[in-house]
Amino acid sequence: MEATDNYLVGGLAELGIEADEVEMGVIRVAHQLFWPAILELLALDVGEVGPEANPDLSKAP
Amino acid sequence: MSGLDLPLREQAGAIATGELDPGALLDESLARIEERNPAVNAVVETFPERSREMLEAAPEGPLRGVPVVIKDEWPLPWRAQRFGAAEMLRPVEPGESAPFRALRDAGAVIVGVGNMHEAGAGSTGNISVYEPARNPWDTERCPGGSSSGPAAAVAAGLVAGAVGADGIGSIRFPAAYCGLTGLKPTFGRSAMEGHHMGAITTMIVSGPLCADAADARLLGSALYGEELVAGSAEGLRIGVVRDEVSEDVSPEVAEACETAIEQLRAESGGEVREVALAELPASALAAVLIANVESLDGIAPERLNRLSPELSPIYRGFAKYRMLMPAAAAVKAARVRDLMRRRVAGLFEEVDLLAWPTVPAVAPALEAPLVELPSGTLTADQANVRGAGLANLTGIPAISVPVGRGAGGLPIALQLQAAWGRDELLLDAAEALERANGREWVECRP
Repeated sequence: MEATDNYLVGGLAELGIEADEVEMGVIRVAHQLFWPAILELLALDVGEVGPEANPDLSKAP
Repeated sequence: MSGLDLPLREQAGAIATGELDPGALLDESLARIEERNPAVNAVVETFPERSREMLEAAPEGPLRGVPVVIKDEWPLPWRAQRFGAAEMLRPVEPGESAPFRALRDAGAVIVGVGNMHEAGAGSTGNISVYEPARNPWDTERCPGGSSSGPAAAVAAGLVAGAVGADGIGSIRFPAAYCGLTGLKPTFGRSAMEGHHMGAITTMIVSGPLCADAADARLLGSALYGEELVAGSAEGLRIGVVRDEVSEDVSPEVAEACETAIEQLRAESGGEVREVALAELPASALAAVLIANVESLDGIAPERLNRLSPELSPIYRGFAKYRMLMPAAAAVKAARVRDLMRRRVAGLFEEVDLLAWPTVPAVAPALEAPLVELPSGTLTADQANVRGAGLANLTGIPAISVPVGRGAGGLPIALQLQAAWGRDELLLDAAEALERANGREWVECRP
């Protein structure tokens, strides 16, 4: 919990972003929702497929 | 029957043959907005003089004289978009957006601006600077977002067609909740110029919301700038994914969608194949991350200290949280996009369509947009994004079609997705499904 608050409060402070208590409440909930999925995403192995150079999203790769 | 209750294509046809007076139709639409809109809050602004000027100047196009609603996401020559929010992060001005030009050049008459979820950032429509739009099927329920007003306007019979935008399901969700047909085009095929994120987004497209596929084809043709020609839906190979998008859904949604898939298979004389898409959960998060990163374009941290207090706390807090998302996650999201584009391209060599429920449960309550699923209680946003992000992430087209009624008579919808550029096939398939079920669901009205 302390690490989370350090990340959220410290990160915002480093960016010079102010947040009131209500906004901090939203930020904490958003973090609870997103962070586990973000960690899973970061751990996902996508090495089998190389990056697509300048993808044209209107067409198949 | 009022001309306003005719399908969009029949309104256009009757005007072209002189059977329907477009001036009277416009007056009727304005009167109906006055009468019914207070209950649904679908239309946030009308401008009768501007609408009459559009009608007077309307060319002999395929939509001449037909009243339509456009989402509060594009500028009009006389009105800047507000994006459903108390303020926008970047200044915007009135102007001729591409969807406006497409409608004008087709002869359509913009009768009003449709409500939307604040800043496009929600699948329910329950937050808006104008107060939320309400679902015409049950005004205590969410209409879906972010194109909440366009969908509620069509479902309430204020107009027969409306233009929405889809960044992560924002046409398909309200189509599903309101019992409409909503088309998310292949990325880049539909009119987008003039959108405040038009130069940066790799996710958002404009698209039609109508009662059925034939109307979506007509209105979509205007937005695409080309006729979406009807073709064959014979021998469809329908791919189904046995994953949370089709399994972690309410029993009534699962049953209606399975029935619809079987009806479509039988009608087309095709087959249903089970296919695997293992990284689907990651693709939903990747879509969210990319959309969030793109929304930060040009926004300095200091700007976030001057947010209007009229913006919702959720918007203000989340706008600030976006700044803390790790850059490595954004890069990984781009890699997941590469991966999923290859995966999907491979799948579309085996099947013509991917099919799963558009949303896992019927429209939740406006007061508390939560859904009960086999896995537990989730926010509607959490649950809805799982099945919607893939199309925006990869660029493929998708359509939501009504396929049943669930608890409280609320609509249930099936999503079909096809390969890049096969938007017409989605419309063909939607029409085939309408034939198969006797148009039972597209002809239902609240």
